[in-house]
Amino acid sequence: MNIEPTELDKAVLLKVSGRMDAENAHEFEEACQRWIAQGAKHLIAELDDLQYVSSMGLRCFLSVAQKLQASSGSLILCGLHGLPRQVFEMTRLIGLFPVFETPEQAIASL
Amino acid sequence: MEPASLTLPAKAESISVFREFVRRAAAAAGIDPGELEKLDLVLEEILINVARYAYAPDQGVVEVACSGLGHGKVQVEVGDYGRVFNPLELDPPDLSRGLAERPIGGLGAFLVRSMVDSIDYRREGNRNVLSFTFPNAGPTYPNADPT
Repeated sequence: MNIEPTELDKAVLLKVSGRMDAENAHEFEEACQRWIAQGAKHLIAELDDLQYVSSMGLRCFLSVAQKLQASSGSLILCGLHGLPRQVFEMTRLIGLFPVFETPEQAIASL
Repeated sequence: MEPASLTLPAKAESISVFREFVRRAAAAAGIDPGELEKLDLVLEEILINVARYAYAPDQGVVEVACSGLGHGKVQVEVGDYGRVFNPLELDPPDLSRGLAERPIGGLGAFLVRSMVDSIDYRREGNRNVLSFTFPNAGPTYPNADPT
C-alpha cells in the first residue's frame, strides 16, 4: 500500500493505492491521525487505485471517520470501485461516509 | 485433485505465503481469476482470527489444505490446535447503526460468511477446523437484491 498526501485549502487529500490488509492497514490510520493532530478537519481518501481492503482496513476507515465526526470534520471517500466498493456496500459502511466520484467533487462539497 | 496442505506459524506474516499457496490451488481448480481477491479476503479474515485468538502470542501453527471440487470450485480447510473457537457462533454485527454508534469490530466474520459458498466448523480432537467452499454461486452478498 502507498499513501500520497496533498495539502489543500480545506482538506488533506490522501491518495491510497495497492492493497490495504491486516499487515499494513494501521499505516493508513496512523497517517490520518498525524494529519488530524496537525489540525486537518477534513480528509479525502482517493481510492481509484485501491485494489483490496479487508476488515482491518474497514476498522481504520471507521475509526478515523468517528474521530473526525466528533470534531465536526469528515472522512470523504472517492473513487471507490471493485472489491473495496463491494466490501463497503456489503457492510453498509458506504452510507456512513460522504462518497464522491472524484476529489474535485469532494472538494466542491466542503 | 489430491488435497495439498501447508503449515506455518500462526501469525499475520504468514498470511501472504498462504495467499499464494491458495491462489495456486484456486488456479488449478479453474476458479475465475476475477474471484481471487475475494478468496484472499476470506482467507485473510480467517487467518487473522487464528493468529490473534487461537494461541498465546507467537505460538502455535496453522494448517491450510486445499482441494479442487470440480466445476470451478475449491474447498479450503484451516486448522489450528488452539483453544476451542467457532467464529461462526459470533453474533452478526449490527449494520443499521449510524457512524458514531457503529462498533469498530465484527465485520471480518460477516464478510467471510457473505463471500463463501458454504462454511462449517468442527472440533477434531484438539484441533479447530474451519472448512469452506468458494466461490458462491448465488447473490454476491446476503443483502443483494434478488432481481
